[in-house]
Amino acid sequence: MPSVAELWIRRLHMYIGLYFLFFLWLFCLSGIVLNHPKWTFAEFWNERRQTSREVQISRPADTEDLAICRSLLEQTGIRGEISGNINRTAPGVISFRVVRPGDIYDIKADLDSRQARIDQIHVNGWGVMNMLHSFSGVRRGDPTLHQNWWATGIWRFSMDALSVGMVITVLGGIYLWFIQIRKRFWGAVALLLGIATLGLFLVA
Amino acid sequence: MGSRRSLFYVLTRNLHLYIGLFLSPFVLVFAVSVILLNHPGIPLGGSRALEAATLHVEVPPGFDRLEDIDRVRQAREIMRQADVSGEVGFVGYSRSEGTITIPVSRPWSEATVRVSAKTGMASITQRRTGFLAPLIFLHKMPGPHLANIRGNWAMVRAWGWLANGTAWLLLFLALSGIYLWAILKSERTVGLFLIVAGLASFLGALYAICR
Repeated sequence: MPSVAELWIRRLHMYIGLYFLFFLWLFCLSGIVLNHPKWTFAEFWNERRQTSREVQISRPADTEDLAICRSLLEQTGIRGEISGNINRTAPGVISFRVVRPGDIYDIKADLDSRQARIDQIHVNGWGVMNMLHSFSGVRRGDPTLHQNWWATGIWRFSMDALSVGMVITVLGGIYLWFIQIRKRFWGAVALLLGIATLGLFLVA
Repeated sequence: MGSRRSLFYVLTRNLHLYIGLFLSPFVLVFAVSVILLNHPGIPLGGSRALEAATLHVEVPPGFDRLEDIDRVRQAREIMRQADVSGEVGFVGYSRSEGTITIPVSRPWSEATVRVSAKTGMASITQRRTGFLAPLIFLHKMPGPHLANIRGNWAMVRAWGWLANGTAWLLLFLALSGIYLWAILKSERTVGLFLIVAGLASFLGALYAICR
């Protein structure tokens, strides 16, 4: 009879795996595609669609740059993460980039003349998958990026949760192997082989 | 029929176990590095500059006319003389100054080799990237960028195979895990609920971000 602890570790191992199934598939498949940028069937950047349009805007009441940009996005119906610096290229002119999986918008708004130019790049499904793999709103070493869209926060949280889930699943799996005395030897061989292989790359 | 099914079950269970154990350290690397990438405020620990050095190297003739992997190959020849190894990034060549800039990265360190094409004088600056930095290095390699030159270091090339193998085998672990769960009648209801809940969360997050 398995102990209560063993039963629950087994369940946790299984339940976490089942819950995160679709997230895991997405990140595995997108990781493979990202590592093969020469796969022609997954081409997305050369297949991108670029469009430009001019729209009328009203001057936002806000004074802070990020709030002004958010107001402009609301007016133009664009959803996404404001990425990088917000630039004031001339008096009354504000320009910024908005990103979400599948679309990149470069917006230049003249608040005085109440006109905005929107350049949009739209990529196909492979591009969406590619962008989802790393869409966190932040980048190590780039202090201009601060997550500022709630949906990015949800996705980033999902990535964190998947990571924590995988750590728990791995540790649970190791425990479940270790309590099977008959499988200890070959299990230890497999685990040590994995550690040694990884070690080779870590010390390279 | 029953014994064939039980043989398949035993085989799947053993493969799930042993492949899972082999992959464990790799999955931990990818999982921990995601947290580090998603939270840039977490320090990587112990980043520090190493000593800079200068020395004379032979610059291969016609370097300025080379591009992509040919330029990287010649850059590697310069690196060999300077006793620097690692994955070479975009190799810059400034015509006005006549200098070659070779960025080199390894799991634990980054180096920049700057060479004057006229005099052959090379300066090398190196930096330790921190205790946790190798995890990020491995997560990002080989990756989608600089496709024409990526994998110019044998270790990165080999890691690329392993990283892809890890992803494929994880897909196998997920599928074999579903089979092993489906066998357990007592866990079917909860498991099914979790799959549906997971799918709903997944589609909900995708809808929020992509619509």
